[in-house]
Amino acid sequence: MRSNGRSALGARLSALVVLLWASACEIEKVAIPQTESRVAVHSVLSASSATQVVLLERTRNGSFEITVPFDIHDPVVSDAGAAESGAIVTMTTPSGQTLFAQEDNTVVLNSGKGAGTYRFALPGTDLERGGTYQLAIFTNGGATITAQTSVPLGAAAAVAEQRLFDRVRDTVLLEWPASPGARSYLVRIETPFGPRSFFTDSTRVRLTGELRNIDATSLPRVFVPGFPQAVTVSAVDSNYYDWYRTHNERISGAGLVNRVDGVIGVFGSLVRLRFLDFRVVAPQPEPAAGMFRFEGTQFERSVTPYLNLELYVESKTARADQSDALSGRYDRRPFLGMMGCVTCGLLGTVKNGRIELVMLLDWSAKDTAEVFTGEIRGDTIVGEYRGLGGTARFVRQP
Amino acid sequence: MRPDTSASAPAPGASVSVVGTALSAVTDADGRFRLEPVPAGSVVLRARLQGFLTADHAIRVRAGDTVRVDVTLRPEVQLLSPIRADARSADVEMFVSKPNIGTVALTATAMAGVPSVGEPDVVRVMQLLPGVVARNDFNTGLNVRGGEADQNLVLLDGHPIYNPFHLGGLFSTFMDATVGGIELMTGAFPARYGGRLSAVLDVRSAEEPRAGVHGSADLSALGASARLAGSFKAGRGMWSIAGRRTYADATTQIFTDNIFPYHFRDFHGRATYAFPRDVRLAVTAYEGRDILDANLAEFDTDTAPSRAGAGRWAFNWGNRVLGATISKEFVRGTLEQRFATSGFSTVLDLGDGAFAQRNSIRDFRLGGSLLGRGVAHDPSIGYDIATHRIHYASASSQTGTTEFDFVQHPMSAAVWVADLWRLSAKWIVEVGLRAEALSGDGRDWAALSPRMSVKYFATPELALTVGGGRVTQFLHSLAGDGPLRYFDIWLASDSLTPVAIAWHYVAGVERRVREDFSVRLESYVKRYERVMEANWSEDSQRRGDEFFAAEGTSYGLDLHTRWHPAKGPSGWIAYSYGMSYRSRDGARWAPGHDRRHDVDMVGTWPIAKYRLGARLGYATGTPYTQIVGEIARRVYDPSRDAWGTGDPKVLVESMGGARNGARFPATHRIDVNASREFHVRGTLIAPYVSVANASNAKNVFVYLYNYSTVRPTRRAISQFPVLPSLGVRVAF
Repeated sequence: MRSNGRSALGARLSALVVLLWASACEIEKVAIPQTESRVAVHSVLSASSATQVVLLERTRNGSFEITVPFDIHDPVVSDAGAAESGAIVTMTTPSGQTLFAQEDNTVVLNSGKGAGTYRFALPGTDLERGGTYQLAIFTNGGATITAQTSVPLGAAAAVAEQRLFDRVRDTVLLEWPASPGARSYLVRIETPFGPRSFFTDSTRVRLTGELRNIDATSLPRVFVPGFPQAVTVSAVDSNYYDWYRTHNERISGAGLVNRVDGVIGVFGSLVRLRFLDFRVVAPQPEPAAGMFRFEGTQFERSVTPYLNLELYVESKTARADQSDALSGRYDRRPFLGMMGCVTCGLLGTVKNGRIELVMLLDWSAKDTAEVFTGEIRGDTIVGEYRGLGGTARFVRQP
Repeated sequence: MRPDTSASAPAPGASVSVVGTALSAVTDADGRFRLEPVPAGSVVLRARLQGFLTADHAIRVRAGDTVRVDVTLRPEVQLLSPIRADARSADVEMFVSKPNIGTVALTATAMAGVPSVGEPDVVRVMQLLPGVVARNDFNTGLNVRGGEADQNLVLLDGHPIYNPFHLGGLFSTFMDATVGGIELMTGAFPARYGGRLSAVLDVRSAEEPRAGVHGSADLSALGASARLAGSFKAGRGMWSIAGRRTYADATTQIFTDNIFPYHFRDFHGRATYAFPRDVRLAVTAYEGRDILDANLAEFDTDTAPSRAGAGRWAFNWGNRVLGATISKEFVRGTLEQRFATSGFSTVLDLGDGAFAQRNSIRDFRLGGSLLGRGVAHDPSIGYDIATHRIHYASASSQTGTTEFDFVQHPMSAAVWVADLWRLSAKWIVEVGLRAEALSGDGRDWAALSPRMSVKYFATPELALTVGGGRVTQFLHSLAGDGPLRYFDIWLASDSLTPVAIAWHYVAGVERRVREDFSVRLESYVKRYERVMEANWSEDSQRRGDEFFAAEGTSYGLDLHTRWHPAKGPSGWIAYSYGMSYRSRDGARWAPGHDRRHDVDMVGTWPIAKYRLGARLGYATGTPYTQIVGEIARRVYDPSRDAWGTGDPKVLVESMGGARNGARFPATHRIDVNASREFHVRGTLIAPYVSVANASNAKNVFVYLYNYSTVRPTRRAISQFPVLPSLGVRVAF
């Protein structure tokens, strides 16, 4: 997440200029000694979470390289981290009760996953609003880490409100009640290209289809037709706010505000005040846009991997030599033992009747399941799968 | 006095002096002058006027007599630029008549031929002078004797200009053809100057005294510029207009499918008129703009099949100056009144309003001075009143949210008195007192800043100087201490941000070995009682934490050896030793521009119709912060109540060690250039070729570290590689 403050802007510009120049003018690359690694803590008490988690890991010092694909049950190790295992992690509640966290990899059912992930059996509904929680960590290496946070007031939104959002026609004015104890409000919108998030002191925000994601390099639109996109507004405390609004500038390595004693990291609080699930749509007047169903023999229908396509022209090209961008979703053919999403996202391009669709593993642009290339012939898309092989026909539905 | 033109008109504004004394005068509108008391005996009368050759007249004066001298000035010919001043005379003039502590004056001629990057740039020439440090090749910001770039008062014909840089500091806003000369005061400047902690750079516009219309056009690797100028009514009136634009954005599309979404442009205008009764009006106008307007969807792409969904990045910034000066010459003084407005604005807009940040500063000022010219005293008194409007805002029109938005309206005033006292033939003392006040936005502040400088002539050619004074600054930049200075964001002192204060102390010795050869050695100490440092962790939703107040000291030694004969090779050698540090809350660090040793050797050689130039520079490294590790910035996803999803790829940030605790390696650079003059039917055509970093030295710009690997690495990114450029000037 990137804050929009002055330091983040300067860091962004500086990094951009340096990277542009760096790509052309590297004069030397040398190996350097490994440095001393420090403990890093990431912990946010969430009023809507079933448990409270503390992530403990080492800072990177050139002693490890992680290439394991991300696993939500093993967030530190699979997200390129070196876990700090075996620490004693405690939390003292406002009422004076001391809780002990259990490291996930010590839970038999977790199959050894979750190193560095320490979990308190404390539901968010039991968090005392306005209360101060004290965190204390004792690592195997002898480090003692302390921090405290105060939970903002406010009722947590437990379930997402479903909402249809037409990117061309709709404007949503999102409002929420002020939360005493909150330092700021975090607005976050999940997108296929990474979340768009920002802090605001206001208690309202306007969301339109034209909103651009300045947290992504190419400034794509936030709302992508065909995709479900979660929108949350959370009250956060000053620890959370200060940690995430600041950044260490790439060249100087300075700027971050750290409030954890003994190490580097964050121990903050978050109360999710609004929770919406946007189903993003848009008009589909273009030839490449619409609802398409797989057409074939009964046998073909029984083996085809994908049954339906819902396509939108996400953006028209600004150059004659490039393609329009497509977005949408596809339905997988259900089968026994199926894992993953049944309906998943897709992105693609179309130009002069040639179409290419990238079927995503889920709703993130990061992971691809399959690529389909073909042609639009009237109301039919005909093409073949790059990975699975074979051809397919999809016919437009009225 | 009259210029040698076909019209035989009077020569107003010419400087007349008695060589070897402090006696000087300026001719009035009728070309008349008066000097007294001239010592009896044989003396040399020297007359100077821009655009004309210096004239020396030997005369004999009897005690009690009045001698009438008629002087005819001959115009300078074979000029690369229409305006020329004789550097030698201005230099000597300054040596004999003022303490000129830490002051270097250069004319257009003296700067001509100095190797350039892309095209001649007066500010890059400044970086080759002693006491002036260039942070790196990409930055034309002037770090003068340990000061920051925003601590310099930059004047255009006496009117302040805020951000005189293009392309993030790569080039200055001063078009070479419009510059008549510059004066750089590196410290302990007189009481008439204030508002900045470090130095004063006074850029004077070139003026055109020749009758008729003259012009020049410059075509370089960077852009194209043109200037038209002329005089009328026998030199009473002069005018010039000039413009410049880069053209990489236009030419890129001719040769490639891609786009280059950046250009900058400048406009400069100047007009003067000598009215009857010795009244003169001068008007200066400048407008410059940098425009980076990139629709990312229009970019070519090698990696993605389409950029259709990409958004727009709009970033533009620029200066505006409009100033007028009315002066009236009396027998024993000059009365001057100035009116000016100056402003700078910048806008960064990402995604058509998804995020927009703006900063603007605009001032309106009224100033004036009365300068007397006596036998032993040149007293002066002056004032300067300015109202400012500063706006700083960050908001998203798309979401209807505002991060911050505030306006400041400071009003400043200054009154100063000074006296240049010629105690005797051996002593010159300049004392001054500047009273300053600032009001508005919860800050009412006033202070007295004394200034003093003394010059002692051990011999007519050897002078010792000492000087010092207090300086203050109430406008501060948020640019920070990084290697690049893309733009300055200006904020004023208010109830939350104090006024910065420093003291300067300078002592030196200067030897005029010959009229065209001088050596100067100066030591300095700058003691910052309070200097404002930009806070990179500041909370944009809170006011008052934009700056930290720190203390600091800079000290060093500057050596300047210069030779500038009327004909033949010329140049200078500059050596600086400097030490700077800042401290706050028990922590001490060196600022990013702290450079221990800096040597520059500059030479130009006119050979027949060629002019060759070379510069050799060597400097020890500036400080940087070593990166000692990286931290993965994990983000909590409130929609899933989970830590990270692997998407996007986890953000990894550098962790810095001791602030500026390491030093880059030393840098060295050789720049060369050559130009040749052709005369075709009265038109001068002068093509030139420049090569910056001719030896292709691998000078380090920054280090980039990677600790996310089993074997950590450090990459060195270079400053300028070898950079040839071509250009041509055409003048008529």
